[in-house]
Amino acid sequence: MACKACTPRLAPAAPRSTFRALLLTLPIAVWSLLMFFHPGVNTDPKSRIAATVTAVFMTVLFFMMMRTGKTYRWRRYFFVTLGFLFPVGFIYNLILVRGTMGIPIEEMIAGRTPFCFLPIPLLILPAALTKTIIFPGSITASRYAIAGMMGLWLAITLVLGKGWCAYACFFGGIEEGMAAVPKRARIRKIDPRLRYLPWAVLLATMLLSLALFDSVYCTWLCPFKAVTEYVTARSTIGIIQNGVFILLFAALVVVLPLLTKKRTQCSFLCPFGAFQSIFNKISAFEVKIDRTRCKSCGVCQNACPNFSLSKESIAQGETLLSCMKCGACVDACPHQAAVWHIKGTELAWKPERARLMFLYAAWAAAVMFGGSIIAQGLVTILHFLA
Amino acid sequence: MVIFAVFGEALTLGLVSGPACMAACGPVLVPSLLSEQTGFRRHLRFLSAFLGARLLGYLLFAAVAWEIGALVSMPLGSRVLLMGAVNVLLACVLFWYAYSARQICGSSCSSSKLVKIGTTKESRVAGAAVLGFLTGFSLCPPFVAAGVRAAELGSVTQALLFFIFFFVGTSVWFVPFIGISCVARNQAVITVARMAMALIALYYLFLGIAMLMGRKAYGL
Amino acid sequence: MTMRAKLGYTAAALTMLAALLTPFLLIGSFAKGFAALGLHVDEMYSGGPKLRTVQNGTYSITIHKPVSPHMFQSGKPFVQLDWSPASALPQHVSDVVDVDGDGQPDIRVVFDVPRNPKAPLRVNVESLNPRYDAMQNAGKDKFSRLIARVDNAILVRVPLANQ
Repeated sequence: MACKACTPRLAPAAPRSTFRALLLTLPIAVWSLLMFFHPGVNTDPKSRIAATVTAVFMTVLFFMMMRTGKTYRWRRYFFVTLGFLFPVGFIYNLILVRGTMGIPIEEMIAGRTPFCFLPIPLLILPAALTKTIIFPGSITASRYAIAGMMGLWLAITLVLGKGWCAYACFFGGIEEGMAAVPKRARIRKIDPRLRYLPWAVLLATMLLSLALFDSVYCTWLCPFKAVTEYVTARSTIGIIQNGVFILLFAALVVVLPLLTKKRTQCSFLCPFGAFQSIFNKISAFEVKIDRTRCKSCGVCQNACPNFSLSKESIAQGETLLSCMKCGACVDACPHQAAVWHIKGTELAWKPERARLMFLYAAWAAAVMFGGSIIAQGLVTILHFLA
Repeated sequence: MVIFAVFGEALTLGLVSGPACMAACGPVLVPSLLSEQTGFRRHLRFLSAFLGARLLGYLLFAAVAWEIGALVSMPLGSRVLLMGAVNVLLACVLFWYAYSARQICGSSCSSSKLVKIGTTKESRVAGAAVLGFLTGFSLCPPFVAAGVRAAELGSVTQALLFFIFFFVGTSVWFVPFIGISCVARNQAVITVARMAMALIALYYLFLGIAMLMGRKAYGL
Repeated sequence: MTMRAKLGYTAAALTMLAALLTPFLLIGSFAKGFAALGLHVDEMYSGGPKLRTVQNGTYSITIHKPVSPHMFQSGKPFVQLDWSPASALPQHVSDVVDVDGDGQPDIRVVFDVPRNPKAPLRVNVESLNPRYDAMQNAGKDKFSRLIARVDNAILVRVPLANQ
């Protein structure tokens, strides 16, 4: 039974000694140095400062994860920072290069539209049937062209699976930040069937994108066009489209997370998130519920930011396919019943080992990808401050 | 021999146009098949009802258009208006179908009948047939191309036969849809299918209204 | 330890290895693999492959292969012509172009080239062959019907008439 009065509390921590925590953090510190300071990168002063700050930031967060034995809070600091700094760097770059956030038609023709991960599932059917990519980019013109970005996405997905939504997505941090602001949720009762919506959006947009040969999610539904780039409206329909983006951003990314303390865009709209959930099937890592310890208090269900726990799934000792391995339920469970787990191993046998192995992989990916985006955002801020 | 060549042409045109027909019907067919129970025979019945009614839509349109000489000469504006009206109607049927599918999988998912739209008081129509009939009116480019060719034939009977062979050619591409019968059904799958249907209906509604107002709803 | 547990730990270790190899090997390999699939960007955006180039004094006109819409794309079929280099174009361009290479003129394209590269462009296209649609004072109307400056070239897309 879900405990309506319960606010998720952090489980009794299993802190490590500072020395042990430092030792465990060492590989991440070395990795951060490698990522940010290998020869040829970050040579100018501003980039060096940004890289140093980011490397220290990521290393300190990992240290705190090791020291406190908790994951969610420290991961959230990284994720929210990523969500807010990505638009800073991205928009600044757009203004610098073409003077506007709107995508001019010339840029689309020239194949210079930066590739975004969100329409990936929509590209599959048209590409499979006609070998055509329905995105105005270029395949190989640069490292950030479609081939490069698809390579990046596939590599990170192999490591993280659905964990992309907690450790890589540069959009999710905005709503996670909004969800963290209020102390209590104003709206607590949410129809659990709404969590099927992203799958319905995925199915509908995949089919419509094939029929119309246009990335329908990008054309009609993407709320993040409000903070990145959008096709300049050339008609009434274009104005309506841009209005829809702004409305969806305001509702799902700002207002509803403030009211519900949940990641509502991810939970109720994002088809890419639904698509990434499929990769949880092949991931070695998962979160499970130890039924011998679980008291069915529902604290984990309340803590989960994207509705990946239900009464039925808890009764079966599982999280749902949409679990993004953020660690919120593990940290919140007062009975240590929610545990990190490696598939095939005995449940609740050395869960900390499973957590460590997962976090090394996830944080390495986070430093490489999200860290570079954070550094870019910091460079932009330094540019304005200087 | 000439007549066989013409119908061979119709079959070939249908085979070549098949992917476009699949893409056009996919948004309607896939969610509605998913909202049905599993079972090869059930899906075969659904697909047969859908395709049969789609053929009826083709033939009815072809007969009327041939008689009034409109297959070749229907102006673009009139065509857009007709498509707009069909899209609005299709959207309404999809919404109604999504609502009706709720009754099939209340708690036990045990109904053996195809989803029907309407209540027990009114005459209930197989949703598959209505959806197929409306998609047959979609006036997609392959259909228009077949219409133009059929209009060149000597009689309305030949035109109808041309459409039948064209339809058979396109229908080959619908066989893979039977594979959807293998997807396991549970509350989650059927809920997703109904939600997808409603979203697609919303899109068709917007598209239809935009067409009726003479505006383009999407596109390059 | 059971075999399943060993396999689980192996998969977990491989995931960690994949994380380490991501920036050094995996991204590049997957990118090359994707590029090798032979996919291409929708020609409604890219304008289609180049067919031939016609030299015209200090500049040339590149004619692309006609592009047809896929599935139910709403755009019309079109053919793209590139005038380049834009810096070598006269202030007023009026060219008769044989698009299909049959030796007969197909369209006359008329546009002014403003000094300011960011100034809006307008084009008139007179159809000398019923296969091509005429255009009056067209700007960046839609992908199948436009004039635009892209890098050092001026692109004109002429819609093909309804077949």
